[in-house]
Amino acid sequence: MGGVEDEEPALKRMRLSSYNGSSSVECTVGSSSGLMARPLSAEGEDEVIGSTGIIKRREFVRIITKALYSLGYKKSGEHLEEESGIPLQSSVVNVFMQKILDGDWDESLATLNKIGLHDEGIVRAASFLILEQKFFELLDGDKVMDALKTLRTEITQHCVDSTRIRELTSCIVSPSGLNGLSRRELVRVRTRLKLLEELQKLIPPNVMVPEKRLERLVEIALIFQREACMFHNSLDKEISVYSDHHCGKTQIPSRTLQVDTNGGLSIKHKLCGHQKPVSSASWSPNGQELLTCGVEEAVRRWDVSTGKCLQVYEKNGPGLISCAWLPCGNYILSGLNDKSICMWELDGKEVESWKEEKTLKISDLEITGDGEHIISICKENVILLFNKETNDERFIEEDEIITSFCLSKDSRFLLINLLNQEIHLWNIGDLQLVRKYKSHKRARFVIRSCFGGFRQSFIASGSEDSQVYIWHRNSEDLVDVLPGHSGAVNCVSWNPANPHMLASASDDRTIRIWGLKCLNVKYPNAYSNGNHHSNGGELR
Amino acid sequence: MGRLFLINLEGYIYSCKFCHTHFARVDDIISKSFHCRYGKAYLFDKVVNVIDGEIEERMMITGLHTVVDIFCVSCGSIVGWKYMFAYERTQKYKEGKFILERFKVLGPDGSLYMAAPQDDAEDA
Repeated sequence: MGGVEDEEPALKRMRLSSYNGSSSVECTVGSSSGLMARPLSAEGEDEVIGSTGIIKRREFVRIITKALYSLGYKKSGEHLEEESGIPLQSSVVNVFMQKILDGDWDESLATLNKIGLHDEGIVRAASFLILEQKFFELLDGDKVMDALKTLRTEITQHCVDSTRIRELTSCIVSPSGLNGLSRRELVRVRTRLKLLEELQKLIPPNVMVPEKRLERLVEIALIFQREACMFHNSLDKEISVYSDHHCGKTQIPSRTLQVDTNGGLSIKHKLCGHQKPVSSASWSPNGQELLTCGVEEAVRRWDVSTGKCLQVYEKNGPGLISCAWLPCGNYILSGLNDKSICMWELDGKEVESWKEEKTLKISDLEITGDGEHIISICKENVILLFNKETNDERFIEEDEIITSFCLSKDSRFLLINLLNQEIHLWNIGDLQLVRKYKSHKRARFVIRSCFGGFRQSFIASGSEDSQVYIWHRNSEDLVDVLPGHSGAVNCVSWNPANPHMLASASDDRTIRIWGLKCLNVKYPNAYSNGNHHSNGGELR
Repeated sequence: MGRLFLINLEGYIYSCKFCHTHFARVDDIISKSFHCRYGKAYLFDKVVNVIDGEIEERMMITGLHTVVDIFCVSCGSIVGWKYMFAYERTQKYKEGKFILERFKVLGPDGSLYMAAPQDDAEDA
């Protein structure tokens, strides 16, 4: 059967709707032309829908029905089941679900067996879950003897997991809990609704359509579009279901907002004390202090608000060449020009020193977010990942000489700049080279690159041709090249809080702030005319 | 100026006369019997911390070659040239190799080289 003929639409509809348990009479008898005018004939009805024919009509309608119910549109859900003639689930399943919610355990077990599941394992596992719930509810109601009986007779019969049985037994024996878990917590393991969810996961999806299946499918499609969008650099709420997501270049910073030559920014402090050129500066995790390193000299720690030098770190003999904070903010690490790495407490007391080729004179120094791994260049083409707790060493070996590197915010990826003008992206976890970025120019200087943008999905780099290069991280495509500087761009930094802002530093002695071509009204103090923004409103 | 990326070599090294930037190791010398306008020149397998100039065709004693002049990355002084392509088959071994003019560099013991000026134009 399945076909509904033109002549008797009303009757057939009434029959179908009755088993749903609720009467949707108003939907069927009441409406005349509009809803029923369209004939539904199964023979002529397409099995598949959509332009490529991979979606089965029956499945599609069922997940829509399920979505309607979970959105709370019960009447619409029922109406759809009727009108399409495709029930969400068989009556047996409906009865089963109702029994679970009513706590009618024995009946629900019986119904479970009637559903007609082929896999014995599933039936056993589901029965186990139901009986467990029964057990806990009995315990909770202080019906200990009944619970014990359930455990002995029914649960052990469906013995799926003997360790679990032991755990359940100990629940009876020590009501105040085992391993610190109070009985309360174990019992409150699930409400009946949660039990239903667990059961739904076990039972094959064509018998019981999984919760939120339609929502999940749409999410997958949107996420796919977002990943594929080369210029995507905006918040998720910009993504709409109405049309395929495709950002234009409008979301990438490409316009100079500010050129700082003592114009928009004012100098807060001049930090004097280093005798040698300062090679790097590093903010403390709490943002209140700054570490600076004089090349082959010493490391100094400054208080940013007062401009005072709080501590100098140095050693007799070797000079310091790099510096970094431990994420906890209580220790300082520094590389020395005798290839060792030292760790100091904030007050200057040296607590640890690792010798033997841990770093090079020109190397950067980074620590992973967990404070455990130190990263530095230990040989001209090798990066060392050193676990300072276990002294375990891992290496990334390149074919070319390494000039600088940058760690991603999540400490999972390393961006390595090479002598031959390539930038390589490595996955630190499995030590795999995953991407390469090319086109920028490097011949004499250390050029730095960084991660940036929304979800760090872009790579930006300086270049000796005076331009800033931006690549899309996943596709390796060059997204934009920003002219403007009149000297080699040595270093770039993408604002971690604002994905639409980039800063670059150049040999032309300026720092440029880059932003979007069209500004949104989202940002306060932003003006759409002119290149300058008063009070540096864009700077956060 | 930006932060120069300088490679540091170990052992006996030839370096820049003016700024002492390392160029090459004594071990990397292939031949010492080259000549240039200012006297002797050595052929090296590998030279670091130099930047290439414009590519040009040059007629040398041994024939036509395509070369680029090389300059110290730090101070920019010219220190020699690099062979990109040799037209004569017998000269192919030079391709990819570097010439450092002895007059332009400091020897491994830090010594300078004084030579009588010669009439020849570059190379051997």
